Amino acid sequence: MIESLASLLMVTVVLVLGPYVVAVLDRLVATPTGAMAGDVWLGPLSRAAWLLTQQANATEAPDWQAWRLSPALYLALAAVGLAVVPWSPTLIATDLVTSVVLWGSVEALATVVIFLQGWSANAVLPLIGAYRYVALGLSYILISMFVLIGVALPAESLQWTQVVTAQESLWNVIRQPLGLPLFLVVGLGLTFWGPLNLADSTDLAGGTSAEVSGPSRLAWELARAVMLVAFSAIAATAFLGGWLGPWLPGPVWVLLKTLAVLALLLWLGHRLPRVAPERCVTLMWVVLLPLSFVDLIWAGVLALWA
Amino acid sequence: MAVSWLRQLAARSRVPVFPVWGWHDDALLARLALSSQVELVDSPRHASVLLVIGEIPAALRDGLRRLHDQLPAPFAAVWLRGAPIVALGAPVQIARDDQLIETLVRTHRELMLGQRESAPRLLPDEPPNPWKGLGDDGHGGEGMMGGNPYGRPMAMNMQNDLRDGLTLDSLTFRLGPFFPLLPAGLCAEVTLQGDVIQSWETRHAALPQRLDPIFHAARQHPVSIADLELARARHHLVQLYRALHLAGLEHVAHQAVSLSQRLTSSSRLDGLRRQLMRSGIFRLAAMDGVQLDGELASHLGGPAARAAGLEVDLRTNDASYQSLGFRPQYRTAGTTRARWEQWLGEIKQSLQLARQAERDNLHTANTGAVETPRGPWADERPADGSALLDEVLPGLEWDEAMTLIASLDLRAVADAPREASA
Amino acid sequence: MELLTLVIILSLALGAGLLIQWLPQRHQPIPPYSQRAPFLGGGTPDTHAWNRYHIRYYPMTLLLIAFEMEMMFMYPWAVVFVEKGMMAVMEMGMFLAILSVGIVYAWREGVFRWQ
Repeated sequence: MIESLASLLMVTVVLVLGPYVVAVLDRLVATPTGAMAGDVWLGPLSRAAWLLTQQANATEAPDWQAWRLSPALYLALAAVGLAVVPWSPTLIATDLVTSVVLWGSVEALATVVIFLQGWSANAVLPLIGAYRYVALGLSYILISMFVLIGVALPAESLQWTQVVTAQESLWNVIRQPLGLPLFLVVGLGLTFWGPLNLADSTDLAGGTSAEVSGPSRLAWELARAVMLVAFSAIAATAFLGGWLGPWLPGPVWVLLKTLAVLALLLWLGHRLPRVAPERCVTLMWVVLLPLSFVDLIWAGVLALWA
Repeated sequence: MAVSWLRQLAARSRVPVFPVWGWHDDALLARLALSSQVELVDSPRHASVLLVIGEIPAALRDGLRRLHDQLPAPFAAVWLRGAPIVALGAPVQIARDDQLIETLVRTHRELMLGQRESAPRLLPDEPPNPWKGLGDDGHGGEGMMGGNPYGRPMAMNMQNDLRDGLTLDSLTFRLGPFFPLLPAGLCAEVTLQGDVIQSWETRHAALPQRLDPIFHAARQHPVSIADLELARARHHLVQLYRALHLAGLEHVAHQAVSLSQRLTSSSRLDGLRRQLMRSGIFRLAAMDGVQLDGELASHLGGPAARAAGLEVDLRTNDASYQSLGFRPQYRTAGTTRARWEQWLGEIKQSLQLARQAERDNLHTANTGAVETPRGPWADERPADGSALLDEVLPGLEWDEAMTLIASLDLRAVADAPREASA
Repeated sequence: MELLTLVIILSLALGAGLLIQWLPQRHQPIPPYSQRAPFLGGGTPDTHAWNRYHIRYYPMTLLLIAFEMEMMFMYPWAVVFVEKGMMAVMEMGMFLAILSVGIVYAWREGVFRWQ
């Protein structure tokens, strides 16, 4: 009972503080001097305050329910992602025997929610962003599945705690060298971040967010930030040995590893240009998907041999 | 109490500004882009201040009114170098350029703290078409068809698709005059099938651009080649900034525009170039799709023509340039990638020429004909090239089309030079 | 217990997402029509944006279904993999080999292009 409450508290704290950390880290990563972004520490807060002050926009005939629900649903999906992260062998909110599959479903449903955000405004530019994102969503989901099955093989389980325990001898990031890079691509897609920002891109004047303002936009950005954190935590669990590590307590290790993956994701987002949609689909299917096959076979052979 | 605390905090945020360029000015753009207090946004929904720069021609004012009304409250309109098109609700007018950032920050602050009323709407609060839920299904039409459900008709199409011949719906809309990814003033009627452009008809040409005064002076009397070449490099850097912003490389874009502001003959382009190459943009972005053939490119002149393999550059006729050993660079492909490489090449070349010319304090020899960064200016100023889009854009995917537009400088050259920034 | 915490977290986040939007806006009137017109840089649309949209990657979506079916098989396979040993590797190797041929074929047919 105490463990459950503690884990619930942990998830809530990450849910609340996560977006702020993402915003600050993003500013630090974008320009090491912080010259471009103004005030690094207060900036995210004042921006959030401005969005709360601004009126939420409407379009002529939007799908109201879907439009207001999509940011909330995206946030809920991200929270589910956080719920399956094991902070220590016992401190974990939802320790299902199929928690890897549950995370897989979060990734799949994210595509639906992001599509909904663009579709419900009933305006051209968000609509293009929405349909374009589906192409990306359908492409990254397979890569993600193969990579996740790859980490499940040595664990002989679809449970995240088992996946971590199986890394006691060697972390998956070394054991399956293709895994983490491929999974990072999935993360960029899942959060439509940087090079894979096909949903809210500049060529569509903001894409699915082009018609969104005020609190709804804040909710959307919060959800995306929490998703970045949730993804980073999952990546840290799957590849960086989760709570494993000397000296420090487990949850601290998970947090540190999560921050490291998060910083890497944010950095990649600033260093790479947006990929053209058509090129993106070809790249995913023709290059990255076969690579994920290789990753899986590699993981399989190694699991038998070890 | 809680509200005022929230508003105090909101007043300290960066000012999200949606700029509308009646007179384009690179120096002003750079000032806005480099300011840490201002954030330039691409959609009016994301802005708290609408900044209108220069006089807006009468033909484009309807577009401006529509745009003005699309900012969510609370918002303000700020007018620089031009009179407000409406005198409603105490518009903010700026007299001098150097007060720009300060005024933007103050206006935003006043809005947040409730000291300033949100600007009034200029257009009536009416649906685009009358609709009262008539017809069998309440859609407003006869039978099952037609009508204006919720104020607009539904999309319908009987045309076959350009690529696979499927007959699905197409969307027709007018884009511009102040769409941030098009040159200011450019209006087009666009028909999309999915995200592919089926037709593009330019309805209003881009507003002419005002070049650096030195290009005008060069037609009157010999000018320093070093200054001329630096102005050219600056122009290309700002073009590069726009293209980089579109590509999502915000921090390289920031570097480009910041370099343009502190450009001297000893500046180097290597850092920027290296960052670009490392980002892999030439492999990841859609830059190889369309070739601008020689004929189309020759209309535009300048870097676009040279990127398409035309060896046309008025500088070759100038004795001073000849003494510097100037030979125009050119590429053959005519693609977006070729134009990016052409920009990078020409900026580098300009810096090199500026260094050499500075050493000998060289001045131009020819005054009749000047190669502007936009194209050759001999007898006539470089003319508008907006109509070119009608030919090259149909059949392109949206992202590719926007990337292509950003790699072209379509604007005509205005007869007046840019005002010196105060 | 596990599912209960999951449901609590899910509803907390969903509720928070909706509250953030609802609380500041509850007394605001709906924006006027002139603000609600879609943003097209000052331009206007002829019609609503919802339409029979031309999804240019549709052949790819069909290919995806083939893979999704395979995933169903793969989850239980992952759990018993080490137990079954080499046989499981061969099985999945064959499966992946056939699918890879499928991808190469689809690529040749231009499935990953915007049709």
